[in-house]
Amino acid sequence: MGDSFEYPDFYNFPPFFTIQPVLATKEKQLDLWRDLIVRYHTQYKLKTLKIYECSLWSNDKIQRSLNREEVQIVADNLVANGHGEWIDESHTTLRVLWRKPEELARDVYEWAVQNGNIGSVCTLYELHSGEDVNGMSFEGLDEELLRRALAVLENEGKCTIFKGDTSEEDGIKFF
Amino acid sequence: MSHRRRGVGVGRSGAAKKQFAKKADEMKATSLQSALDTVEKLRVKLQEFAKDHQTEIQDDPAFRQQFLQMCAPLGVDPLVSRRSFWSKTLGVGMGDYYFELAVKIAEVCFATRSKNGGIIAVSEIQEILSRNKKKKVHKGDIPIAVNKLKSLGGGFRIMEIGTTSMIVSVPTELDSDHVQVFSLAESGEGCITTDDIATQLGWNQERADRVMKLLLSEGMAWEDKYHGVSFYWFPSVWKEQRQAELLS
Repeated sequence: MGDSFEYPDFYNFPPFFTIQPVLATKEKQLDLWRDLIVRYHTQYKLKTLKIYECSLWSNDKIQRSLNREEVQIVADNLVANGHGEWIDESHTTLRVLWRKPEELARDVYEWAVQNGNIGSVCTLYELHSGEDVNGMSFEGLDEELLRRALAVLENEGKCTIFKGDTSEEDGIKFF
Repeated sequence: MSHRRRGVGVGRSGAAKKQFAKKADEMKATSLQSALDTVEKLRVKLQEFAKDHQTEIQDDPAFRQQFLQMCAPLGVDPLVSRRSFWSKTLGVGMGDYYFELAVKIAEVCFATRSKNGGIIAVSEIQEILSRNKKKKVHKGDIPIAVNKLKSLGGGFRIMEIGTTSMIVSVPTELDSDHVQVFSLAESGEGCITTDDIATQLGWNQERADRVMKLLLSEGMAWEDKYHGVSFYWFPSVWKEQRQAELLS
């Protein structure tokens, strides 16, 4: 599980668990919630969030928790900002995007530059599970999310994807 | 007889007056001159002192404070004279030290404004600025630096709230009602209800509501609905109390 999660200071601030009535304050609050959720899921490598089972919503130490309605507001905000996607129709489970596709694309390309992969080919498998990607933001990433990031790079003319025998063996050539 | 005497008397006293006045002027001039000489001597001494203790003045906040206190009554302000003897003696000049500090303070105020509404305890700023730094920021230097920010406008000022010095970085006018509510929250757990306000300050509900409404809308207070009651928390006060807890 890695290092224990370091909760931010405001996680112990009781009003953090009441959606704020003043718009500007509420926006700030939702920013803070978003950062917290993304950081938590990234650190523990959690890809989904079941919105009525998430332990983040309550802090026993200060006896505060978000109610259902408030959880919904926080979750909707995560989706609206591109850091989450609903997996089911009834909106109870989210896929948490640790990094947005554009951010991932930038990370992948930087990695390719630093590892001298420009001009050479590597497989999709190597990109998410190869030895060279240890500690990278895209290590262990869903194939689908990785493909989205690569699509961004392909659009920018920074890579091409070749069909392999299996989807994992698809080759990526960086420019 | 009496007429003449009076006449002579008047004449004599007139001449005497002139003489006295002349003498008085002379004496005033000498004592003024000697006072000026003394001040000048002190000034020279102060400069020698500054030269000798240059490093301490630059690096030791407590020493710097005392040095500034010595300078003040002589009308010497090493903070404003930039191209004078002082800036030469003290290297970059102490003014620069405070300008730099002022910029850092302003940065922290701006960065935390959306969370605290533009009101933050001096001790919190000090704690933030002292993180990962070799040179700790001295608490006493902060108000001096904030005074420099004042001239830039933007409403930078220090307010004494209860026992705490707070830096306010927004132009919002805070009247004594607001300050009293802050103090009340500070003397308690860091949070307050409008009922507390009304009871403890002897206000009617409407006045308490009005004050809380402004503080909420400015982002200086956050609402915490707990078991159906609204508690109001002040990030600036909460942070400060938490910090004190961690230190104790």
